[in-house]
Amino acid sequence: MTAVADILPLSETQSPDDQATLVAIVADAHAAGTALYPIGGGTSLDYGLPALRPGIGISLAKLNRVVDYPARDMTITVEAGITMDQLAATLASELQMLPIDVPHSGLATLGGVVATAFSGPRRYRYGTMRDYVIGISAVDGRGTLFKAGGRVVKNVAGYDFCKLLTGSLGTLGVIAQVTLRIKPLPQSSAFLFCDLRNLSSCEPLLAALVISRTTPSAIELLVGPHWRENAVLGLSTAGSVGRLVVGLEGTASEVEWLLGQLTQEWRALGVTASRAITEREATELWGDLREFPSAPDAPLVIKASVLPSRTVEFVRLVLQLDPQASIQAHAGNGIVIARFSQFDSADVSRGLIGRLQPAARLAGGNVVVLSNTLAGLTRQAVWGNATAATHWMGKVKGQFDPKGLLNPGRFVYDNS
Amino acid sequence: MISSALLPIADELRRVVGGENVLAAHSDLVVYECDGFVIEKNCPDVVVFPRSTEDVAAIVKICNRYDVPFLPRGAGTSLAGGCLPVGGGVMIVLTRMKQILEINLRDRYAIVQPGVVNLWLTNALKGTGYHYAPDPSSQGACTIGGNVATNSGGPHTLKYGVTVNHTLGIEGVMTDGSIVEFGGPSEDSPGLDLTGTLVGSEGTLVVVTKVWVRLTRNPEGVRTMLGVFDSADDATNSISAIIGAGIIPAALEMMDQGILVAVEAAFHFGFPPDAKAILLIEVDGLEAGLDAQRDRIVELCLQCGAREVRQARDAAERLLLWKCRKQAFGAVGRLSPSYCTQDGVVPRTKLPYILRRIGQIGEKHGVRIVNVFHAGDGNIHPILLFDERDPAQIERVLEASGEILDECIACGGSVTGEHGIGVEKISFMRKLFNDDDLAAMTRLRVAFNPDNRLSPAKMLPTAGACGMEQKHPGRRAAL
Repeated sequence: MTAVADILPLSETQSPDDQATLVAIVADAHAAGTALYPIGGGTSLDYGLPALRPGIGISLAKLNRVVDYPARDMTITVEAGITMDQLAATLASELQMLPIDVPHSGLATLGGVVATAFSGPRRYRYGTMRDYVIGISAVDGRGTLFKAGGRVVKNVAGYDFCKLLTGSLGTLGVIAQVTLRIKPLPQSSAFLFCDLRNLSSCEPLLAALVISRTTPSAIELLVGPHWRENAVLGLSTAGSVGRLVVGLEGTASEVEWLLGQLTQEWRALGVTASRAITEREATELWGDLREFPSAPDAPLVIKASVLPSRTVEFVRLVLQLDPQASIQAHAGNGIVIARFSQFDSADVSRGLIGRLQPAARLAGGNVVVLSNTLAGLTRQAVWGNATAATHWMGKVKGQFDPKGLLNPGRFVYDNS
Repeated sequence: MISSALLPIADELRRVVGGENVLAAHSDLVVYECDGFVIEKNCPDVVVFPRSTEDVAAIVKICNRYDVPFLPRGAGTSLAGGCLPVGGGVMIVLTRMKQILEINLRDRYAIVQPGVVNLWLTNALKGTGYHYAPDPSSQGACTIGGNVATNSGGPHTLKYGVTVNHTLGIEGVMTDGSIVEFGGPSEDSPGLDLTGTLVGSEGTLVVVTKVWVRLTRNPEGVRTMLGVFDSADDATNSISAIIGAGIIPAALEMMDQGILVAVEAAFHFGFPPDAKAILLIEVDGLEAGLDAQRDRIVELCLQCGAREVRQARDAAERLLLWKCRKQAFGAVGRLSPSYCTQDGVVPRTKLPYILRRIGQIGEKHGVRIVNVFHAGDGNIHPILLFDERDPAQIERVLEASGEILDECIACGGSVTGEHGIGVEKISFMRKLFNDDDLAAMTRLRVAFNPDNRLSPAKMLPTAGACGMEQKHPGRRAAL
């Protein structure tokens, strides 16, 4: 993460402490035609195209209250500016959690995480942010507060703006309040991992996990210098190319059974040297896995989403382009996060647009840029080719923000 | 008879899909005058059965050219009138697009055409160790296209989520006749989550022609329990206690005494006739953890006053328990000549309150009400019993229904958990949402459906949707 002022061309930043003030700020900006940049914890401001148009920042930091927490209904309603850590602490007091893993959770706000639809290792078991937002309020580009969903876990009344706004990067509305469904906190967690002699040995292990008797929470393929030396995992075996790390959660007896079962399944597949990580070390490793995508100094960090069976192939391609790249793949989901060690602007058209994007398409998916230090990335470089679907996204954008004031120029739309 | 103005449309449609795939005779059209919501009826002018996405696109373009309304229909099991052709026009029935196009277990997805019946997919997956999780009680008839349109639920959504949580992508024909893919087999797509937005849009934004669905690993083991209670409050308190203890059952269903008597008469399971309520509780997952969960549930139920908690002895007894639950609505015929099922949601801790209020509302209006519902989700399905030959009873049933749904809203809940708004509940939208909320929803519809030719007068209370005042409660089943 980089300082807000370095990323956004702000003339001023306002910090409303209630919804009415937020509405007034947006309405005034709409009347004046001023661009608006919603800001949560400022941890993902470099996600998306660079902000070029001068405008006003709206910090949600003071809209951070817990509105309603009926723990036994397993829902919580909070203002968007609550940090992920504050939220987690509130939920932990009732042995509950929102199972969405993000870097810098002490700063990152729920509203920002909803807007970016960020997710982490445990998406294999728990899904992503879209699966947890059941009610939402936001202020559209005209300065109108609107809501959808509600505070109950099952509800099909009206259009689902919870899905529409999750991942909208603040371009349809400034998210003001969110209701979440939540999960019980698992009693215990652990990891089993093994070093991989070569990438070819990985796919059979991944394929076997699909039909394993175990129920992993996370399936992580870790490659590159960043992971070679890790305080918890230790130094990787000489000559190994990466590590396969499987996160397991449940009751203490379930986790014990899971570790034993997976060890056995791996042994049957020829993996004799697997090792378990438990207790405090497991907590530390979850932290490492959560933080990896945030790498402000890396010239380029991408996220590819491909078919899970094509994960290894995509990792191989990244290594062809940059043998020193560090990679974290949520391999059960086909998500590959790659931190390049070197990448300059000249590589963008050849490497990113010319090789990575087409390869991801062939593998059933796409590539987006998470962060970069490069100059002048185009929309195509950051978000990939516009598709027929993009055209309809633009129509939606036009309805919610007709003057194009919310986070202008940064998202997929070609008309803003 | 098809109106003469529409004769050329029928001819054009025949040229696209062939004469055998177009219905235009009144005797044929009357089959399509309503769905599971039988209060409002209206015949479409033409029914057309596309065989491919390209057929759908051609049909939509013809409708645009003639400026006639059109709407999609699956199996017509909607309970909210989602398939009612308001204003007539062309009904696009997708039941002949019924291929399972791909099952990919390694990547845990399947691609289906919209006319694939929900249960066909589950059957096709037998023996693979995977299943398609959304399981509405109508799953033997309803189509996956319809499930996508209404974001269908079912008993096992408590743990596994509803249709949208299992939909990876959608191919649809847009209102301009273009064919567009949203999402797909990989998990994250750049840009807005229009897949998630289109699920549950009740056929008002797009005609779905293909769906990428997530497949779910079968649980290793399952424990099914039957809690018997001497009061409904004890049963509903047990629900909160179980979930409050951090246990998310795969399913948690409740039946009250009124429905139990009928179910027992129909299926002879051996439910105690004097029980005031029973809970059907199912936990699934790793064998390693199931007995501990079962024991904890038994303990919690007993603490909350359960008379006894039985465990299904074997697979056969478990199946019989589920048969009793899923076919409970069929047994209602033993209680009354007609019935009307509601679909409200409350926070689950409000279940004791809402059930008491339902009882009071029934007494006040002289309407007998029995309950069988998805208790774990707080999704109630009160069944109002009446005789439709008596207009006075009909009036009272409508009043009682409205009061129950108002009470759900007052509890912080919703007027529909899984059936949808359709035409049935349009009048409640203003109670749930304010003008600004509804204006935002209208804007979304305008973005996708600017001329409002697709499924007009559905879901949103606009000028085009008035005149939907309910006069007659339907006899219909719930999910």
